[in-house]
Amino acid sequence: MRASGSRRRQSLPSHRVNVERVFHALGDPTRRAIVERLSERPLSVSLLAKPLAITLAAVVQHLQILELSGLVRTEKIGRVRTCQIEAAGFSVAEKWISERRAIWERRFDRLGDLLAEDEYS
Amino acid sequence: MEERSVTHGTFVIERSYPNTPERVFAAFADPGKKRRWFAGGEGSEMEEFEMNFRVGGTERTMRRMGPATPFPGVALTNETYYEDIVPNRRVVFAYTMLLGDRRISASLATVEFVRTEKGTDLIFTDQGAYFESGDGPKMREGGWSKLLEGLTKELARP
Repeated sequence: MRASGSRRRQSLPSHRVNVERVFHALGDPTRRAIVERLSERPLSVSLLAKPLAITLAAVVQHLQILELSGLVRTEKIGRVRTCQIEAAGFSVAEKWISERRAIWERRFDRLGDLLAEDEYS
Repeated sequence: MEERSVTHGTFVIERSYPNTPERVFAAFADPGKKRRWFAGGEGSEMEEFEMNFRVGGTERTMRRMGPATPFPGVALTNETYYEDIVPNRRVVFAYTMLLGDRRISASLATVEFVRTEKGTDLIFTDQGAYFESGDGPKMREGGWSKLLEGLTKELARP
């Protein structure tokens, strides 16, 4: 869940979070893996990189995309850069929207099945 | 995080079916057919399905959310009002979703049926207003992991 500690930087205003950008950011499996791990707890960049089998530089690049999309926030404390999930990119409303889309997608899959059955019965 | 009372979202889904627009339209117009594709599955039990397919007519579907959902046992109700119907061409409807007795969204949905050489292209446009349902904190209790599961699954779809 959310990490304790002060939030030094204001998050992006929610309404400015671009849904397309969020979807693009999550379209990549490595970035999804990053988000999934950060959803458990905040991690330093190097800890984050460890199990990913990609270079630190590549992880940093993925993090930049995730930061731009408002999904992840990073903060340098001393010499360590810590990453954590950002609420702005994952507001409940956005979740509802993506879920709604998924519901309709599944409906239209079933419609296709139904039409195929009717055609050949 | 700054709290909002409403968020607007639009999405478009396009599908091609190897059937005539008449057949595809019939799957929207015929309650027996519509029930089979519209309200099945989703890991939930359908408890009500009533539809009156005419301009000005209403439709009501109530499902009970299954154990794998964030709100097991809670009723999910869809209230639809048919705004425009042009046979084999278009259906426009407004629908409201309720979670329990709370309204969570109101949308204007447009279904267009475009005749093609191979059958029908269906274009579905959903323009929605999503309300802060008051369940936000409850959703978050479930943990980000759970939230993300559904989202990543959806995003992984081809």
